[in-house]
This record gives sequence, structure tokens and C-alpha cells, in this order.
Amino acid sequence: MNSSGTAARGGRPGPTRRRFLAGLGAGLSGLALAGCARGDSTAAVEGTASFSNDNASWDDGYALASKALQPLTGYALRPLSVPEAVAYKLVAQMTLQTSRAPDIIKWTSGYELKKLARSGQLTDLSGLWGAYADRGWISESQRDAMQYRGAVYGIPMHESYYVVFYSRPVFARLGLRVPETWDELLHCATVLKRNGATPFVGTQYGGWPAYEWFQELISKTDPDFYTALVEGKARYTDEPAVRAMGVWQDFMRKGWMTPPDYDQGKGAAELRDGRVGMFLHATWHTKNLSGADMEPLKDYDAFVLPTVGRSTKKSVITESSALAVPRRAASHEAGMANVGAWLHPDVQRAWTDYLQDGSANPVVRAGNPVVAGLRDNIAKDRRARLVRYSEASPPSLIQGNIQDLSAFMTGQMSPGATLRSMADRADEEWKTWRQDEA
Amino acid sequence: MRTTTAPPSAGHRPPSPEPRPLRPDPARRRVAARERFAAGAFMTPAVLLVGVVLLAPFATTVYRSFFDDHRHSGFAGLHNYQLFLTDDALLRSVENTLLWVVGTVALPFALGMLIACLTDATRWSRFARLCVIIPYALSGAAVAVVWNFVLSTDGALNQLLSAVGLESLSTSWLLDWPGNTLVIICVNAWQATGVAVILILVGLQGIPPETLEAASLDGAGPWQRFRHVVLPQLRPVSIIVIGMSLANGLKSFDLLWVLTRGGPGRATETLAVSMYQETFLLQRPGAGSAIAVVLTVIVLGASWLYLRRQFDEKGA
Repeated sequence: MNSSGTAARGGRPGPTRRRFLAGLGAGLSGLALAGCARGDSTAAVEGTASFSNDNASWDDGYALASKALQPLTGYALRPLSVPEAVAYKLVAQMTLQTSRAPDIIKWTSGYELKKLARSGQLTDLSGLWGAYADRGWISESQRDAMQYRGAVYGIPMHESYYVVFYSRPVFARLGLRVPETWDELLHCATVLKRNGATPFVGTQYGGWPAYEWFQELISKTDPDFYTALVEGKARYTDEPAVRAMGVWQDFMRKGWMTPPDYDQGKGAAELRDGRVGMFLHATWHTKNLSGADMEPLKDYDAFVLPTVGRSTKKSVITESSALAVPRRAASHEAGMANVGAWLHPDVQRAWTDYLQDGSANPVVRAGNPVVAGLRDNIAKDRRARLVRYSEASPPSLIQGNIQDLSAFMTGQMSPGATLRSMADRADEEWKTWRQDEA
Repeated sequence: MRTTTAPPSAGHRPPSPEPRPLRPDPARRRVAARERFAAGAFMTPAVLLVGVVLLAPFATTVYRSFFDDHRHSGFAGLHNYQLFLTDDALLRSVENTLLWVVGTVALPFALGMLIACLTDATRWSRFARLCVIIPYALSGAAVAVVWNFVLSTDGALNQLLSAVGLESLSTSWLLDWPGNTLVIICVNAWQATGVAVILILVGLQGIPPETLEAASLDGAGPWQRFRHVVLPQLRPVSIIVIGMSLANGLKSFDLLWVLTRGGPGRATETLAVSMYQETFLLQRPGAGSAIAVVLTVIVLGASWLYLRRQFDEKGA
């Protein structure tokens, strides 16, 4: 434009191309610099503790917990939510290496936490754990999933149990009662199937649900074997695992399980409508059931899956995320203060009432009556609390085994081939883990 | 610069009575230096951008692919590349990638050509174009969600088949290999055909009508006109459509990931999904890097072979 001389010939003066390009360049440089700058979001902000997490849908719950925390510690929670779990993991691991790490991070307990602790990026929280234990605000059964080489690096965020949800009206209509033995469970499944409902939700859609029935059937066949298996002290080809896979395959052959590509997202509505009969899932699922207009105790209830054998030791699979404090937290004191007060009953009531799940503090009764009832029964039956499968072994072993279980559920692999493949992977991955430990 | 200094081509220009005086050397050098500086200044941002965001990460990825995935990573030579010979999941992934390449090139091109030819110069060509371009405007993730609703075992397609008495045809569309891979390729074609139709329609509208009239006068039938007049003139557009489809097929990820996450097991993985799976889920960055390098070599190699051949034939 200018090079042709139009402006010089008396045209309306306007921005020259050079000026435009200079402006554009400056703008882009500014953006680039801003992008390259260290994130301000994790910088210390007076009176708050930043909280990096992978669940933005819980932001309202964090706000409620924050309101309860602030009078106790003087610090509000400032959630920094990354909506995708894998992206969150990468972002968090990178931020931990900077001098502006978040004050608190939500992390997967068990071996994911151990890996992070092993890298030396987390604060030892053994002192906080001891203080909680002295007040009776924490259960020692959760310690295994939170510790690495004897020191504690995480405080449980909540405590969920793997249970079987069912529709009370549907069970009442079919004359069924809560099964207390394996035979009664089979009877429920038979009746439900006869009446046009799929007895159990079981799917590999989304990846991780593939292990829900695996962990449940193995632990209800032999809980001690389950513990030994996930700790690498027993083989996947051992007899209890073979028996459990046989039961699972039998369920599938009888048409008792939903198709392997069933979307659990529609499970709550289908349970309400009686299209599926029983839904094995964690107690945090209560929030989804409420979303499907189901009221606890009126529309739905839950029970722990009965043991396969009458004399088998009773157990329940538990799950909790961990709250950890990065060693290089921008405001380390704020992080420690809020994690140190997380299990305070006032905070836990606000948090678990929102979550409709169990508290990691044994003295806090769950607001949801179904979860509260389950907790009472678990305590009464003295069930062994077992760590969920995905937290109980090295992550790469779990990921690989999930793929094998998916292949089994879709009929691509026989039970024997599945277990052999899992056993081979376990040998390999445990060897790698132990080498890395050494 | 060259025009002022190059000798006039003998025989084309009358010899000038007096040779033009040459510029003094220092001035020439200054101009040359200024031009080189200007060219460098224009190129620097692009070179820096490509270097920082493409070449440097690629070099790092190549380097990482020679190291193992232990906590203290050590040199592993070609071990990560040997996985392509020993790991069943990766072998299946290579098979799927080849299926994808064939399917994503052939289907959108063939369907695009068919739809474009059938709708060109008809009254409703604009409407047809709109219909086929809409899926292309959707994100891969949204397409996957919709098709999951259709293709899952208790999904809309099987329910429709049952409703019309064809229950025997209903199957687990996304669960059994290789059917699931082929079905996902068809879904991809449903989305990708739109852009092929648009490009081919543009090509068709650029064909001079005289060439078709001349062929008709010479007695050529419709098929002969298409085969010998239309098709050769669509060559430049075809190169673009096939080239785009090839690259899209090799790098496809979002549709597959949302629809099946590469499963069940690892049955529907392509190399792009395997790369993500190994690097981020199985936490084996060495193996993931090796897959990334192999995938890059395949994409570059295929694109280079294809484009070189096409442009050579065009004489470009």
C-alpha cells in the first residue's frame, strides 16, 4: 500500500504496514513472553493455599471445604483445576520441579504417590498423620496407600468403598432382599434376568472399569490372596485367580453382565428404571444416583458383595485420593496448615456432605444415609479394608492388565490366556519396580 | 541484483555500443549484504519458530528413543525399536495404521468424487454440499460421542436392526477386530468426505465446458468424457485430496481415542494412539518416542513419495 505511494499522494493517513507489522510483532512477543513466564496461578497469595487437582466438577465442594478451613487455619483453598486426568498429571509433575509448586496437590494414592515421593518432591507428612492418629481422626488401614519407605506423604481426601447399588423399588417388586450369601446373590441375578433386567453392570468402556469385577471377585474369593497378588507375592495364575475368572466368565455366559462397551454414565438412570439390576461401583457414585433423581434408602441402597465361600474372610475394597504438599510449594506453610486441618470434623462434614461419600475421618458420620449404613456394617462385620486394585500395584502393571481384562471381557482372550499374560507382565513390572527401588 | 550484473544473453539483445559501466565493488557488496540481511531477517522468525517448536522437540524425541524407561534411564540402543518386532500390541497397531491409511485415502476420495460428480450442476448441489460439509465442521471428539451412541452393543444401530426384524445382523460393532477398526474407518470417512466433495466440486467447476463439448462432438460417451476429459483435469485437486487424507489417516487420534481408547485391549490402536498409550499411560517415554519417530518417518516418507511422484508427473 505505502510502497505504491498512495498515502504520500494525499490519501487518508493511516497506519503504515511497517507500523502494523511492528505492532503485530510486539503483540506476539508479549504473548510469547507471557506464555513463557512462570505461571502466576501457583504464586503465593496472601491468606490462601493453592490446590492443584484434576476434578473441576468438585469445585463447589472445595469451596465448602474452604469455608470450613479458613477459620481453622487462616487460609482459604484456591482450587486450580485441570479437567483431564492425564494432562493434570503431566502439568503437576512439571510444576513440582519449579520454585512455584502449588501448595497442595491431589494425587492418586498408592504406587503413583510412592513414585512421586521417591523423586523427593513431596513433604513428609508423618507428623500430621501422627497428630491425626492421636485424636482418632484417621484410620491406620489407609496408611499403606499413603506411605513410602515408612514415611507418610499423603493425607486421604475421603474414603470410598466398592459396593453393589440396587434399586429398592425394583427389588421390592420382584420380592428380592439384600443378598447376604453368594447363593442369595445368584438367586437375585436369576430373578432379575428372568424379569428382563440385566443383573450386573460390568464394562470395560473407559478403560479402568475393567478391573472392578476382577478385584471384587478375587477379594471375595480370598482376600489374603488378593493382598498377596497386588503386592507381587502371589501369581496371577494361582488357583484363587483362576476360580474368580471362572465365576466371571460364567456370569458373562449367562448374560448376567451388560455388554463390555456399556457406558456407565447411563447406569444410574437404567438402575432407576429397572433395566439393570445391580451396579458394582464406588460409593462416590451416590452423587450420580442423586443426579438421576434417586433418593438414598427410598430409591436406592447398597450392599457389599457377599463372599464366594461361606467361610471366606469378609473384606471391602476402599479407595481414596491423597492430598500431598510439594516440597517446593510457593506457600508451604499454607499447604501444611490446610492439609493438617483437612480431617477436622467441621471440614469433613462440609466436604463429604457435598460429595455424598464417606469421610476418611472415622468419627465423622457420612451425610448420605446409604454410605453411613455401609460404614456401620463394615465396622460391625470387621471387614478387612483392601486397597483398590489400581492403587495397589505399580501403575504400568495396572495399565497393561486393564488392557488384558478388557480383551477378556470382549472374548478376545480366554480366562487362562488373560491370567498368563497378566502374570508375565507382573513378573516384568515388579522386576523393574524393584530394580528402580534398588 | 542479478539483472544488473548478469551479462546480457548473447544473440537476444543488440550489442550496446558502449558497455554499461559496472558498479564499484564496495557498493555491490553493500547492496548484496543488505539484501542478504533483509532475507535473513524475514526468514529468522519462521526458522526460529520451526526450530523451537518442531525440530528441537523432534531431535529430543529421537535422542530419548535410544534410552530405556527405568527410573534412572540408561542407553538402550535399538531396544525400543525392536518392540516393533516383538510386541503384539505394536504389531497390531502397525496393521491398524496400514488399514487406516488405505481406508482414509480410498473412502473419502471415492465417496467425494461420487458425490461431487452426482451433485455438480444440479439444482440442489448447494444443499448437498452443505449436508456433506457439516460433519467436517464437527470436532473428532463430538463425532466419536455421537457414533458411540450409534455403534455400542445396546446402541441405536442394533436397536434399529432389531426393530425392523434384522436382529441377526446386530453385532458388537466396536468390540471385535478387525470389524471395529473398519467401522471406525467408515466413521472417519463420514466426517472426512465433506472436504473432499468441496475440493472436487471446485475442481469440476474449473473445467472449461469447451473441452466437454469438444469431446461430445467427437462422439465420446458420458463415461469416456469422465474418464478421458474430466478425470485428467481433476488431477491437481486429487493430489490435494489424497495428500490430505493420507496425512489425516496417519495422524488420526481424537476419533479413535474417544470412541474406543484404542480398545478393547489394544485392538483398535493406531501408531498415534500407541504413542500416547506408551508415553503417558504406560509411562514408557522411551518406547513412546520410538513410536513417534517411526510414525514421523512413515508420514514424511509416504508424503514425499506421493507428492514427488505426482508433481513429477505434472512436470512441476
